[in-house]
Amino acid sequence: MRNVRWWAVLVQVVFLAAGGVAAGPSQAASEVTLSLWTGFPETEPFYKAAAADYAKTHPNVKVTILSTTLREHEQKLSAAVPTGTGPDIYDVGSNISAKFIDGGFLDPNPPNVDRYLKSGAWSPFVVNYMTINGKTYGLPLDDGSRASLFYNKTLFREAGIGQPPATFMELMADARKLVKVDASGKMTRSGISLRLSGQGSGITEKFRFILEPAGGSLIVRTASGKWHNGFDNEAGRATLQFYVDAVQKYHVDDPKIQHDADAFVAGNTAMLMREAWVIGEINDKNPKLDYGVVPIPKWKRSRMLLQPFGFYVNKTSANKDVAWDFLQFLTSKENAIRLTTMTGWVSERQDVDWKPLLSKTPQFGVFVSPPKGIEFYQDPVIPVFDEIQTKMATRLTAAYIDPALNGNPAKVADAIHQMAAEADELLKGAGVYGTQ
Amino acid sequence: MSRTLPVTAPAARAPARRVSRRWGTYVYCFLVLLPVLALFAYIRLFPIARSVVLSLYNWNLASSHRPFVGLANYARLSSDENFLLALKNTTLYSISTVLCSTVLALPLALALTRATWSSTLYQALYFLPVITPMVPMAIAWKWIYDYNYGIFNYLLSLAHLPAVGWLVSAGVALWALVIMGVWKILGYNLILFLVGIRNIPAVYFEASSIDGAAGWARFRFITLPLLKPILLYVLVTATIQAYNVFTQVYVMTLGSQSAPGQAVRVLVYDIYENGFHFFRMGYASAEAVVLTLIVLGLTVIQFGAVRGEEA
Repeated sequence: MRNVRWWAVLVQVVFLAAGGVAAGPSQAASEVTLSLWTGFPETEPFYKAAAADYAKTHPNVKVTILSTTLREHEQKLSAAVPTGTGPDIYDVGSNISAKFIDGGFLDPNPPNVDRYLKSGAWSPFVVNYMTINGKTYGLPLDDGSRASLFYNKTLFREAGIGQPPATFMELMADARKLVKVDASGKMTRSGISLRLSGQGSGITEKFRFILEPAGGSLIVRTASGKWHNGFDNEAGRATLQFYVDAVQKYHVDDPKIQHDADAFVAGNTAMLMREAWVIGEINDKNPKLDYGVVPIPKWKRSRMLLQPFGFYVNKTSANKDVAWDFLQFLTSKENAIRLTTMTGWVSERQDVDWKPLLSKTPQFGVFVSPPKGIEFYQDPVIPVFDEIQTKMATRLTAAYIDPALNGNPAKVADAIHQMAAEADELLKGAGVYGTQ
Repeated sequence: MSRTLPVTAPAARAPARRVSRRWGTYVYCFLVLLPVLALFAYIRLFPIARSVVLSLYNWNLASSHRPFVGLANYARLSSDENFLLALKNTTLYSISTVLCSTVLALPLALALTRATWSSTLYQALYFLPVITPMVPMAIAWKWIYDYNYGIFNYLLSLAHLPAVGWLVSAGVALWALVIMGVWKILGYNLILFLVGIRNIPAVYFEASSIDGAAGWARFRFITLPLLKPILLYVLVTATIQAYNVFTQVYVMTLGSQSAPGQAVRVLVYDIYENGFHFFRMGYASAEAVVLTLIVLGLTVIQFGAVRGEEA
């Protein structure tokens, strides 16, 4: 009798276990709550919608979302993850993920996720970006950049300009026609809105929008895997000269007037180099604005910044399998379209049919399917890169308005040389400097 | 000539009882204060001590490798351009804010000494900025300073003066912060001075009147000397507050249409950037220790100066 009872128990255990395996990772556990932290509050509605859809097939999985500003998010993660706490899932840029990988706080992707990432849904460029020392980490959700040139068609027509600029020389010439000043000589509309003031790495990132087409790079990798500055050269000097000329010689922009997306949405600038999220801003605040978006003009080459933002599963998560399953759902084709439609951020997937979106908002075209022939560049995945950009930003804002640099190529060269020396010093401090 | 008290047994026991009672009082006081002291030690002294320890390490928040580097972080500070600039800007800001807010608050306090309804109204008005939260206030000031829509430039235009890039001009931005800093702290200093002036016994002023003193002489020889404890308190608190300036700098340099970072780089911002942006906790702790020592040193000097005059 006792043997029969034991057999019955064993059969039940096997049956339940088999049922659990068949049901997939999420249903194996009874109730699972996944915590997700994001540094992009505007994506929260997307996550909520996706989580609600996921719950339809995985009713035992609940997703809680905490969204804060990116800087706060990075601080929270930096305090939580190394101490073995933090959420199950988080999105973050390579400036932080590189540190976590370096410190051993992130595990490489499990084999099934690795296969999923390499399934062809993402370009080799993106897959390579998520690969460190031969192992993949995280899944790419959206692109933080693909910055392109927004231009106000109405203002272009008024100025008698038929086409958006294709080169930086044309851009400056157009900007000079488009800038507007009042009777007292005060600028009321800029020809192009450059990032001239404030602080933070974004200033240098925008500098790179021109530096890269001009033929330079902020830092370049050597054959031995070391890094050194890549702008103490003609490209770097030409880029800084472009900014100084724009502000001080041709007066097509002025740090004192309204800037960035706000200025473009309000019609207070004719051109702006920015990311796809500006489309969302325009739709919300000035849907009647007649504008177009084209690739950033060519200088010596045509280049676009790709900046994949990754999703990672915390090493200490108690629900890793479920978390990875949810992430695969989150990065599916359907959710790629939903992400872009709801937030303006562009999914990194290359196998999505964007036609429905483009028929509604053609301005997304350059972001979702960049023109052939355009080269891509990316942020180097080394922890010190963010510091290089941030510290260089403080020097750039001073240089743009420094009268000593106006019409003085030697001073421009000197300013660039100082910035480059600082970048190299930071690389040396991080132990990754080399020229061979 | 010495006087000897007769020694008796009860008289010998009396001082012993007094000593015992005094010790009992001390023990009681310390026992009662113990929870507060423990809390103070936990939330104040322990973090300070921990910062000193951290400053001796190359402590990256997002890395498990945290080597001991001794005083290397302090050595680096002496050649760190950003730190030196922040130190210079913070010192300029502090001297200007403390001086202006003290020099302006004192005559205002003298003018508002009489307890009238208008005095109460002005006190309330001057004190309003003190209780207003810093972040919304800094945002409001960002608009006040706006080149195109700001009220300051509007007022300048009424006088046919050219508009000023209050926040975006490198040479002006720090002074724009000083103006805001003075506006914020003026009411606090004013109230302290007012309390001090009103607490000066009237008999001194009456005596000075009999001696024929009035106006400046009365202020110079009666009001000011008797206000020294208040003046010391104002100087010390204002200096500590000024050296810790951060929020308005953070808000006013945020975004594309804001102050250029270097023009208004201050110490706490530099600490924040190194600690919470670059995650160099050890280096940021070294900066924090230096800031603490500077403020401590200035406080000691202020105490010495004011008390020295008293002596």
